[in-house]
Parts: sequence; structure tokens; C-alpha cells
Amino acid sequence: MQSDLMTKHNKPIGPRERVVTKWMLIAEDIWKVPMFGCQRCGECILSHTALICCQRCPKRLRNGPCGGTRDGGYCEVYPEKRCVWFRIYKRSRLLRRMPFLYEIEKIHDWALEKTAAWLNVFRKRIEWPALWMKRKDCCEPER
Amino acid sequence: MTAELGPPQSANGDAVRKKAVHFRKGVDGVNITDSQTAIVRLSSIAAARIILEEGLEPVIQMTCRDRNRIAIQSDLLGAAALGIRNVLCLTGDYTTFGNQPEARPVFDMDAIQLIAMSRQMADGYFLSGDPIKTPPDLLVGGAANPFAEPMEMRWIRLKKKIDAGAAFIQTQPVFDMDVFNKWMEGVRERGLHEQTAILAGVMPVKSARALEYMKEEVPGIRIAPEIMQRMADAADPMEEGIRIAVETIQTLRSCEGIRGIHLMPLLWESVTPRVLRESTLIKD
Repeated sequence: MQSDLMTKHNKPIGPRERVVTKWMLIAEDIWKVPMFGCQRCGECILSHTALICCQRCPKRLRNGPCGGTRDGGYCEVYPEKRCVWFRIYKRSRLLRRMPFLYEIEKIHDWALEKTAAWLNVFRKRIEWPALWMKRKDCCEPER
Repeated sequence: MTAELGPPQSANGDAVRKKAVHFRKGVDGVNITDSQTAIVRLSSIAAARIILEEGLEPVIQMTCRDRNRIAIQSDLLGAAALGIRNVLCLTGDYTTFGNQPEARPVFDMDAIQLIAMSRQMADGYFLSGDPIKTPPDLLVGGAANPFAEPMEMRWIRLKKKIDAGAAFIQTQPVFDMDVFNKWMEGVRERGLHEQTAILAGVMPVKSARALEYMKEEVPGIRIAPEIMQRMADAADPMEEGIRIAVETIQTLRSCEGIRGIHLMPLLWESVTPRVLRESTLIKD
């Protein structure tokens, strides 16, 4: 119950790890930022969102779009921009990754902001990226 | 049957009491908005306590825009201690919509996670996993917007909110029956209407200009062109607005899967008894 909603902060980031994270972050940012629009949240769920960084959303939503999406799939806050979740939805349909969108994502651990996501994976703070997912209650129509 | 009350932009408790009078008959619960559209208003929990003393059943609204998890949990404990038993969990409109766009938007979590956290608290545990000695006894609900695109994501979000523990769902005001029916079809297909109580939103509007304002400024509202035309052509826009609201209620009552109506008479709370009477939701 509790572990589904939030990752308990049981491995605090010490000074040595902060040095490692600084260098790892440089190595990560160099490809993640241009390729996926990475916002360096440190708790990467790119594999759940069809490789589009959902943290580009101004409200930093991790579970899908807010109720304010404008006509055509444009952002409530920046009407000239497409809603990130609209793009994630379109790409998830294309890549048949819809089951990921049915997952309730954990509440973001803001203490992991600006840390290297891969370091957090190796230190078992966050999960490994998922290649595939199958869900029984996913309402995907059979193609 | 629930209704909505917008608190004043001042520290005047009597203004809340005056509005509360209109909801005495026929209304099971009264929502108190939480600085809606990011305009500073009297806080939801304080106004809820005022109307509780007037004998009404309040439903507080809690947005993720202004508070972090510590403040939210603290507020939920406080609300329960004051006798409030219902909470509607929302993500919240962004800060740039209101009169203080310079504010820092918090958004520590979103509505789905807030529903899950509130349920967890009602079951006796803080977000950290520590037990709560006196858990807050709260009925947790969420909001749904049938009119945003893409519709499939609205169904997925609704399902996630139900899985997180939403006992009731209130929708945005219905001004476009076709789109709403399409959304309800999908809801029924997925069996979601049986897992939670869906209350459809209805908003009586005073004038065509009010409708224009809603369309342009308030996120997540869709208005059918026929309704815009009716309001623009009407000789008496207030009467037409009431008539449209009553018609909408009649149509929604026969809609399978809708368990009730959520009336949102924004800045027009006094029209509530008349709308209820004319749609035969209360007998005189």
C-alpha cells in the first residue's frame, strides 16, 4: 500500500555520491536532454512514457494529462505548445505501449531532483526501465 | 445531488452564511472551491466549517497547486478534526490563470496520487507509512473532464482515480450532450460507472457573455454551438440560462450510469432552489 505510492527515502545521498552524481549527470544530460527533453528529475520513467519526458509538463504530472487540455491537444498553460501527455498518448498507441499508461506512478521524490537517474537505478532507489508490460485490465482493443 | 459554493475574496464569514441559505433544501453536499482559477479566496476548510455550523454537509476541495504533501496531510487532519467528512481531490488550475501569476506553483503530486494518499490516511497511515492514532474519517472523491482530448486518456485517468480509491466523481459542467454521451458510453463499456458514483455537472449561466468567458478563460470547458446560439438569441438570458440548466438535468437523469447531479451556480447561488424545483428534484 504505502510502497506503491512513494519510495521511502532509505538511502540518503551522501557527499561522495553527490560528486559521482555530478559527473554521471553530465554524461546523462548529453544524450537525454536533446533526445527526450529530459528535465533531470532523477526518477526517470521514460520507459513508461514512450520515451518522451513527461516532466516537461508545467504541472510536472506523472500520471497523465490534467483536465485542462485545450482543443487539438494543446497545453492549458502554454496554448501554443502541444500537451506532452497528448504526444505520449499518441506515441504509446503507435508503439503499443498503452498498458504503461494504466499504471499509477509513484509520487515524485523531489530529493532526487538534479541527480543522475542511472545512479539511482544502481543504488536501488528507483526501478529499472521496463521493456514491455502486459495488463489484463487494460482496455486495448484487439487489432 | 451536490452543489458548489464559491467563497468570497475577503475575510467575510457572513458572505458564506448568506450563500449557504440557498442550499438548505434538496442538496446532499455542498462543495467549497479551493481558490478556483488561482484567484485568492477564503480557504475551503474555513468556509466548510462555517457552513457546517449552518447545518449543511460540506465537501472541501483540495488542490495540488498550492500545497506540498506535508501541508496537505496536515490540512486533511485539521478538516477531519473540524467535522468535515468529504474531500474532492484536484490537480488544480495553473497559477497563471489567476490574479497572482507570480506565485510558485507547487504541484508536489497530482490528483490521482492525492486520492491514493487521502485514502491511505483514511485507512490509518501517513504517506510515510507511520500509523495515525486517530485517522481522518474522509470520503474521497475526484473530478473528471469528459470534454478534453484525447477521450481515451480521460477514461484511463478516470480508471486510475477509481483504482486509487475515489468513491465519487464530479464532472465538469455539461454544455455538449453529444460529447458527454460519447464519454458515458466509454465509461459504461469499461464498467467504471459501477465502481464509483458519477455526478454530472450542470451550470446555469446568466448571460451569453458569461458563457463566452467560460469558453475562453476557464480550462476544460466545451460548449455546443446550439447553446451559445440560444443564449445569444434569448430575449431574457437569465431565464434561458435556467431553462437550459433544467433541460440538461432532465436529460442527465435518464442517462444510465449517472448517480446524481453536481450543480455549479457560479456567482448565482440564489438560483439553486428554482432550478431544483423546476427539474423536480425537490417537491415544494
